[in-house]
Amino acid sequence: MKKKLMAVILSVAMTAALLTGCGGKEDTPASGGGTEGTAEGGVQEITWMFWDDLNATEDLISKGYKETIDRFNADYEGKYHVTPITTNLEEYYPKLNALVASNETPDVFIVSPGPNLTVYVDPGVAAPLDDYLAADGWKDSFTSDAVFSQMTYDGQIYAVPLNIAAACAFYNTEMFETAGVAVPTTWDEMLDACEKLQAAGYTPITISAGTAWCLSMVAGYLCEMEGVDLAALEDGSASWEDGKMESAGAKLKELSQYFQKTAAGDTNDVATANFYNEEAAILIQGSWAIAQINGSNPDFESRCGVFQFPGVERIIAKSDSLAMSSTTKYPEACAALMKYFTDDISQKYTAEIGGKIPVTSVEYDASVAPAQLEYVMNVFGSAKGTFGFYNESMPSTEAGAFFDDEMVSVFLGDTTPADAAANMEDFYESNCR
Amino acid sequence: MDKLLRDRKAITIFLAPALVLFVVVLFVPICQSVYYSFCDYKGLTAPEFIGLKNYKDLFKDKSMVFALKNSLFFLVFSCVAQLVMGLFLAALLTNIKKGRNLFKNIIYLPCVLSSTALGLLWMFIFSPKLGINQALEKFGVEGPLWLMDTSGFIILPMWVIAFVALWQYVGQSMMLYMAQISGISKSLYEASYIDGCNKPKSFIHITLPLIKPMVATAMSLNAIGSLKFFDLIYNMTEGGPNHRTEVLATHLYTQGFKYNKYGYASAIGVVLIILCLIVTGLINKFIKTENYEM
Repeated sequence: MKKKLMAVILSVAMTAALLTGCGGKEDTPASGGGTEGTAEGGVQEITWMFWDDLNATEDLISKGYKETIDRFNADYEGKYHVTPITTNLEEYYPKLNALVASNETPDVFIVSPGPNLTVYVDPGVAAPLDDYLAADGWKDSFTSDAVFSQMTYDGQIYAVPLNIAAACAFYNTEMFETAGVAVPTTWDEMLDACEKLQAAGYTPITISAGTAWCLSMVAGYLCEMEGVDLAALEDGSASWEDGKMESAGAKLKELSQYFQKTAAGDTNDVATANFYNEEAAILIQGSWAIAQINGSNPDFESRCGVFQFPGVERIIAKSDSLAMSSTTKYPEACAALMKYFTDDISQKYTAEIGGKIPVTSVEYDASVAPAQLEYVMNVFGSAKGTFGFYNESMPSTEAGAFFDDEMVSVFLGDTTPADAAANMEDFYESNCR
Repeated sequence: MDKLLRDRKAITIFLAPALVLFVVVLFVPICQSVYYSFCDYKGLTAPEFIGLKNYKDLFKDKSMVFALKNSLFFLVFSCVAQLVMGLFLAALLTNIKKGRNLFKNIIYLPCVLSSTALGLLWMFIFSPKLGINQALEKFGVEGPLWLMDTSGFIILPMWVIAFVALWQYVGQSMMLYMAQISGISKSLYEASYIDGCNKPKSFIHITLPLIKPMVATAMSLNAIGSLKFFDLIYNMTEGGPNHRTEVLATHLYTQGFKYNKYGYASAIGVVLIILCLIVTGLINKFIKTENYEM
């Protein structure tokens, strides 16, 4: 009898032990998500999720975010405390989605505006922020209401921008000088410049097709050059097969002969490193690259120029944004944290150290800011308007990813520009209209 | 022991943990996946039943074609290469007298190392700016883009990954075959030598028939392992360039966790399970095993 009893007890214990990992978190005080516990002494503990490792990073903007977090925790000691959850960029959205699906949404999380944000607004994961923005004149500190345009749904704002970046062409001034190349302003001049750079023994352009959105950014500019109208394509009044995308694809193929040999597999980081290690003359990238370039090779700053992508009048612009979980227990703490990211200290850092365009009307010392920021501001000033990243301006993240893949296929020669346009039309017809 | 085996309560009690684990961790999720595969499910909202749409979409998905082709390539390559290499190494090591354990450990070592670490290691070795290509450059040879070339029906990165996987897992097949070979009675070999057999002949007529059951087991393990292969590919190419090295498991991951298409990813998962069942069934059907007294 005793043996049987022991067997029963042991079996129950084993079963319970096996199922321990399957249990919910409801009763467990934790720092993450909407179920975070009140920590000792009544401190409101929140989490903030970000797409870079704050301790290992060389990126100056990420380092600035770390300073902001530290400053927040020091200033609000005993009242609020934020714990960062960090991951690399490639893994960011899958991990965020896994946390959301398991009801552990980080209290505050970084997100790209457009369809990426829509994913969290539609199911009610992100909270509207209008009440917080209206308090204490927070919203008035921003340069204009236009900075919220990609974060507004049915008149409500769901994210706060932290900085603005423009997609520009960064170039190595020394290589241009040696090859006798002037800054190109038209498409033909661009091809001519690449030809001369190649003849001088340089790799004209470094780009990443391994990270598809990098190539897609150039494709976006080429579509803009050809007059592609995304809104008309979405409502069905225009067709991808009207020849514009085909022409943009042909131009991409033409330009690709000047890419580095490893462009097909190089990641964004590798392609950018090719530029600041002076292995290629031109990098077409968002101005967030300034922080990466100067953080990794400070000596290169003086040889790094910036010009607007030739042949287009508008420039691609985007912002990093913060959203708040709708299930957070401490919205006040979250709002306080978000304000720290847009206060004068953070915004001055954004411009003076990070080289990104601030979103508030903060005054910063342009003389200490990275030289490239001034060039980017000039590009910004001379442009006739802005438009979003193509893959972030489409109706869904899937549509954006489909566009990215089609463009990479054109570059690799797997698809002709005409077929890519037909594929886009099919995709839109089936999924977007 | 017999008394214990007749005690139904004891059997039930001792089977319960494994049964509960199987049901909770495996059976229920599989049933859920099958259900989700018929739904439009984004993970963040409730699933919506859409019938066979996800399965129909699989046929239109270019990446799925790459994934299926690569998974089948992997399956064939792994089964054949691991069978041949595993048997060769097992036969070789069984017949050497000195250093058997040393070589056995060396060959088996990659099996126990983290696939993530190995994937990154090989990614660096095949990177254009490091490893092999740098070594080749010293001899004036321009190495190929090992993990980036997209020409050919089976592209170079797939061959590279397949060879890395062979290097990593051949030790496992070798150990299984060695275990079986070492169980064969020496008297059988001695009798064959008296009857005029040489070593190759005794291998063909004695060793091979007697290890057939293990061949079926090892092949099934290889087949299932290669169909659900994920870690090396994810760490070496992440399915790129442009999804050309995608396999079913990486495609499932991309669709589910990158694009939030959990319903569609579940459909890929169901296809994967069905493939595993078919392949295992075929192996068991075509490799007929007979039990011999060893």
